[in-house]
Amino acid sequence: MVVAELAQYVATGLLVGGVYALMSIGLALIFGVMRVVNFAQGDFMMLGMYLTYFYALAGVDPLLGALLTIPPFFVLGWIVHRGLLARVTGGGDPQRQMDAQLILTPTPRGIRTAYATQAFTVGPILLNEARSYAFAMALVLAAALWLFLTRTDAGRALRAAADDPEAASYQGIDVRAMHGLAFGAGIALVAAAGGLLATYYPIEPSVAVNFIVLMFVAVVLGGLGSIPGAFVGGLVIGLVQSLTLLALPFQLQNTGVFIVFLLVLYLRPQGLFGRRARTV
Amino acid sequence: MTEVAERLQVPWLTLSYADSITERGFKYTFQTSPVSSVQAEQALELVTELAKKNNRPIKKAAIVGDNTAATVFFFKPLREKLLAAKGIELVVDEVWTPPLADATAIAQKLRATQPDIVFYGATNFPDSIQVLQKVKEFSVKAPIQGVGAWLVTPEYVKTLGKEMLDSIQTVVATHPMKGQEEIVKRFTQRTGEPFMTQDPLCTYGHVWLIKEAIEQAKSADPKAIRDALAKIDVTSGPAATSFYPNRIKFDERGRRVGATPLIVQWQGGEPFTVVPTAVATRPVAWHK
Repeated sequence: MVVAELAQYVATGLLVGGVYALMSIGLALIFGVMRVVNFAQGDFMMLGMYLTYFYALAGVDPLLGALLTIPPFFVLGWIVHRGLLARVTGGGDPQRQMDAQLILTPTPRGIRTAYATQAFTVGPILLNEARSYAFAMALVLAAALWLFLTRTDAGRALRAAADDPEAASYQGIDVRAMHGLAFGAGIALVAAAGGLLATYYPIEPSVAVNFIVLMFVAVVLGGLGSIPGAFVGGLVIGLVQSLTLLALPFQLQNTGVFIVFLLVLYLRPQGLFGRRARTV
Repeated sequence: MTEVAERLQVPWLTLSYADSITERGFKYTFQTSPVSSVQAEQALELVTELAKKNNRPIKKAAIVGDNTAATVFFFKPLREKLLAAKGIELVVDEVWTPPLADATAIAQKLRATQPDIVFYGATNFPDSIQVLQKVKEFSVKAPIQGVGAWLVTPEYVKTLGKEMLDSIQTVVATHPMKGQEEIVKRFTQRTGEPFMTQDPLCTYGHVWLIKEAIEQAKSADPKAIRDALAKIDVTSGPAATSFYPNRIKFDERGRRVGATPLIVQWQGGEPFTVVPTAVATRPVAWHK
């Protein structure tokens, strides 16, 4: 019984962590290439949730809707990088939330899906269907990003621009374009994560504050700018949040996360993947 | 806000349930809602009676909710004395600071302990939706008794669907009662909202109460209105009938004398007043 309970906590933590991981790799990508700490990342996630909601109103399944957020948010990210980056990175969260509340209204919304309240049964463990699908899609998107970065010319150019912008430019790589690509891809990934989150989590203009700190913790935990590090960091946060409940009350759920975070920073200041993969 | 109102000597009418809001000796704060600690006692009395009538006596209870002020004051007396006094065992006591990362552990504990009632106070919408979805996913059958009007807003039925909400009930400071059909009709027509809830009804009552106070004070001066509110005793008209029982008189702390909560229950996608029966708009349907 104790083993089954522990297994349920682990499974739940991994499912929750999968979406954290996808949220975090977008942030890590932007930091890794541009050295920009994008505090607006959570707000783009919120907008991704809303776009998925509007897709759902039009009859599109939210899982597909989450994927369909990628192209428009890539373009949005690219435009923001080209024209508005300074303004976006300079503004404060309250202002963006107020803008969103004016346009989208503060009324919370939710996408009603059958799989949000159903579970796959694996022995004694229940795996929530919405979270399982979201986890699987997060893995696929993270793998797709990894393949793009390691197996394509554009991906290699992106990594070169991240490693040494000056040397990359001597090799004919348009570093500015690479920054646009990184920002667009980072925003598209977090929007897709928002879309997946929207399959089981209500949407409201202030939703970003519930996740932005965890995203940053995941990125720093994994090693600033490391894509695999951010992914593992997200999974670790989900796991620790879940397992903390075995020992501590709910009020201290995130205490476990921050204890692990501080321990990792103390023992390995560069983060889990910092030495081997400091950049993308 | 009440501190600012006190400094500026402007009367402040609140629908807050928190005991602390009228425990500071303020002269300008008037609370029309029954306070949380009183609501807990009254709500427990009401639900144990209901359960008995339906041959499902309450032996085990769970407390699940966040640590916001009104919820804390509701849970505290339940946890410390009220449940024990009725011989009810507290089998789950889970309180968190919003936002809640995941509600699986709560649903697991409820499923494992099978309480006869869950006292539920998740005032943050995303947290509450997560808990209710998990309760359904884990097939937890216990009746849910909420704490506050946040549980009966139109967003719930849009997000969860009417089937999932059916028979979930909550204690509120006020809700449309028998005899208020006309104001509800006007409200829904004018706003496009599907039904009227505590907050607009309270505000409606408060506006009429200010009008009564101004007329009694024969002045629009804030201090004169405050003095009129301190002495007011109305038992009829739109102000009084917006609250239960239909009387507005404040004690020296600014609390409405005799303020009693109502129980509102989701039935067919709409929340109805079910207790007390004298003002109920639907009979209560105890959880199957």
